[in-house]
Amino acid sequence: MPQPTDLLQGTLDLLILRTLALEPMHGWGIAQRIQQASQNVLQIGQGSLYPALHRLEYKGWIEADWKASENNRKAKYYALTRTGKKQLAAEIETWDRLAGAVGLVLEQG
Amino acid sequence: MLNEFLAHLRFFIAGGSHGEVDEEVRFHLDQQIEANIRAGMSAEEARRQAAIAFGGVERTREQCREERPGYWFETLAQDVRYAVRGFRRTPAFSLTVVLTLMLGIGSTTAVFSVVDRILFRSLPYGDSNRLVSVGLVAPIEPQEFMLGGSYYEWQDNQKPFVALTSEIGVSPCDLTENNPARLDCARAEANFLPTLGLAPVIGRNFTANEDRPNGPRVALISYSLWLSRFRLDPGVVGKLMRIDGHATEIVGVLPKDFEMPRLQAADVLLPQALDAAAERHADPGHPMWAFARLKPGVSIEQAKAELEPLFEYSLRLAPAPFRKEVHLQVRTLRDRQVHDVRLAAWVLLGLVTAVLLIACANVTSLLIARGASRERELAVRSALGANRMRLVRQALTESLTLSVAGGVAGCFFAMLLLRMFIVMAPDGMPFLAKARIDLRILVFALAASLLCSVFFGLMSGMRKTGVEALTGRTRTTTRHALLRRWLVIAQISGTMVLLAGGALLARSFWNLEKQGLGMNAENIVTASISLGQTSYPTPESQMAFFQQLERNLRYGPGIAAFAISDSLPPGGYHHDQIYASLRVEGRPSLASGTGGTVAWRWVTPEYFRALQIPIMQGPGFTDEDLTSNDRFVVLSKSLASRMFPGRNPVGQHLHLAGGAPAENDPSYTVAGVAADVKNGGLAGGEEPEYYRLRRQRAQDWDRSSVLILKTTLPPAATEARIRSQVAWLDPTVPVDIRTLSERVGKMGDRPRFEMLLVGFFAFTGLLLAVIGLYGVISFFVVQRTQEIGIRMAVGASRADILGLVLTNALRLIVPGVFLGLVLALALSRVLSSLLFNVGPHDPLAFASVTGLLILVALLATLIPGSSATRVNPTVALRCD
Repeated sequence: MPQPTDLLQGTLDLLILRTLALEPMHGWGIAQRIQQASQNVLQIGQGSLYPALHRLEYKGWIEADWKASENNRKAKYYALTRTGKKQLAAEIETWDRLAGAVGLVLEQG
Repeated sequence: MLNEFLAHLRFFIAGGSHGEVDEEVRFHLDQQIEANIRAGMSAEEARRQAAIAFGGVERTREQCREERPGYWFETLAQDVRYAVRGFRRTPAFSLTVVLTLMLGIGSTTAVFSVVDRILFRSLPYGDSNRLVSVGLVAPIEPQEFMLGGSYYEWQDNQKPFVALTSEIGVSPCDLTENNPARLDCARAEANFLPTLGLAPVIGRNFTANEDRPNGPRVALISYSLWLSRFRLDPGVVGKLMRIDGHATEIVGVLPKDFEMPRLQAADVLLPQALDAAAERHADPGHPMWAFARLKPGVSIEQAKAELEPLFEYSLRLAPAPFRKEVHLQVRTLRDRQVHDVRLAAWVLLGLVTAVLLIACANVTSLLIARGASRERELAVRSALGANRMRLVRQALTESLTLSVAGGVAGCFFAMLLLRMFIVMAPDGMPFLAKARIDLRILVFALAASLLCSVFFGLMSGMRKTGVEALTGRTRTTTRHALLRRWLVIAQISGTMVLLAGGALLARSFWNLEKQGLGMNAENIVTASISLGQTSYPTPESQMAFFQQLERNLRYGPGIAAFAISDSLPPGGYHHDQIYASLRVEGRPSLASGTGGTVAWRWVTPEYFRALQIPIMQGPGFTDEDLTSNDRFVVLSKSLASRMFPGRNPVGQHLHLAGGAPAENDPSYTVAGVAADVKNGGLAGGEEPEYYRLRRQRAQDWDRSSVLILKTTLPPAATEARIRSQVAWLDPTVPVDIRTLSERVGKMGDRPRFEMLLVGFFAFTGLLLAVIGLYGVISFFVVQRTQEIGIRMAVGASRADILGLVLTNALRLIVPGVFLGLVLALALSRVLSSLLFNVGPHDPLAFASVTGLLILVALLATLIPGSSATRVNPTVALRCD
């Protein structure tokens, strides 16, 4: 298993938003989903996940709701809001530009 | 944006509970444990691994809380609560800081509010920065004036101004209708208001056609007259009022904040109605005061240069002796208005700045001391997990809380001071009564104090709180100790400057009060009476009134002497003329120059006896002279010795109106020489003076006279008698009765005010400096408790310890006093024009101030010094 990569500053918000775009999810689920989707490359530290979720909630990009989980426990589910969707689109575009630019530089080298 | 704001608001109001985060985290852990068990771990191991993977639960909870929008406020409230609790534990420290700030902020604000009105207020005219006062200055009148003989020539030919206008002064006039009143009537040219950039609030300005001799009688009335007499009735325009017996049409009302450019009080503005054609040929013409509006882009220097040819023209008109001593003056209206209070205002401003600086230095020094003494507390808090930011903010909150408290106290103090100024201030400090607390300067002073508290709050918070602070070993933080020492030295030297200024002004005031006036003002009651133009139109009627009054009063109870003059020494109004216009019969007059000014007044024979002015030569005026056809004059000693050096002047003949045609320049016989009397105000120089005898002839009398009564009764009794006698003759005549001592005392108001102010600030500065010094020395003692303990343990006596503390204090006091002396000697020159008979480097003042400062400073070190001698060595050594 390769070493988990440190997350680039600011990309955690993007990953959370992207994950929530599929369906509402609780914190643990988000962490699992990101880890699986990245084939265990990205491991989310819980120490940063929950503050990030709260920050996004205060910004109004996601909203939280207490619902029963798949194993019938009460869990806090997060869902994307309308502004959150817009923000996601904007962040993806920024990311694509950044990744493309970095790629160009690397190819040149 | 709005969404975000609403979200913030929602969370701020609803607030999230810690419980939610906890539950969320618990759910997360449970999920992880389940996953771990599914992966084959034992229940125990699964729990352990999940906890390790999650990390610090408490930390996560804390971080989630910090994301909350209200977090900042929560901690702020906490910080303030903590700070206030801390202040309550150290009331002396907190009170000192708040009082220091109060003194600094309060006095700066109050003084600036006064000075601002004088130096920086906006004048109530349109685009007032382009308004200038134009004219000639001469020794006889150091404030610029104009003469009708050249004014119209200037008006026609000037180039630098958009317009040139004039006024011819304010004189009392009578409103002669129902409910008569004495008013102040100003007279000005038709273009006066437009040139100043003003228009009447209702009605119109008077026209050029109305501003000519025998033109239609029209008047503009002041806003306050409109209010008091006409209750702001807009129908006032077109109404007639009788001024000095003439029906005059009110054509308009002046703006509410209108003031004459020379700041005289005026109720009515009349056309000056001078005959321009006649004035052009008149010599010298009507005295007037000219004001002008500069053309755009023209500077005062340019204007002055462009007026030069016109000035030459005026010089040619002037009598020969004048020419060398007359100069052209063009200056801003503001300069003209603040002329003689300007220096006092700047000195005042300098003083309060010094006080503010001393106060800031004090606060800084106190905060540093507090920071140093709390090093251990800060170390403990940071060891317990407070982060750096939080500590810095805590320190900031403390200093800000103190500043705000000091600022609020300062506000109230400023209001109190301002009220005091207004009560204490002498007449003739312009605008003082209208001064209000200036918000801008309050904010400025507050900002200054905030700035120093923020700066040093940061400094004490940012300081590295190393582990060694936890051991509680008292280290000397050299850098800050050094800064504090410099601050105290600066404070002491600033105080030295303030004290020196105060001492100089006090000495000067002492001299003013103690100087000989050349007369005896005791038991003299004076009554100024000015007769109305309408009731007493001729000199005959005026003389008749005063002579009747004299007959009624002269032989009343307790009247030892009775005289009538037209003016009073030692200051205030009197006639002036140039020395060159006096001529001894049979001798040529002064060849060149004006020879300076000579004062003179009309008096009756008993004037000298009433005021106890000795007649040194000759008989003086006698009662027989009163009915004589000859005219008599008494010279002052200085005038006599100048005109008749080494000769007896008595019996000589003089002409007093040099240059006038012979029929207007009669011969006067010198009847005596009187001792010199102060006549240029308390601080002013003494002018040579002469007295003309007021005979029983109408030509010697006019509307205004001063009765001088030497009385053996209490002044109040004499005053009542004068009032009843005047009222019996004519109840409409206003009388102003005061003892001569009161009038003289009033002249001392201004220097007294200056001295009290400087004294107040010097005292404030001294107090602050002493507090600062006391703080530094007691801090020194606390820091060195252990060292002192060791010294005592190895045999140092109490005197040795006291010596140690005093040496340390002297290392601050001596350089501070020395620096202060140098500064004060350099700066006191500024005061020289406010000083009377005291040099700006008066050794007595400087020596006594130096002594006082050193004494007080040493006293301030004695308290911590004596507590140092009481240190118990065993306790001090065991304390760490």
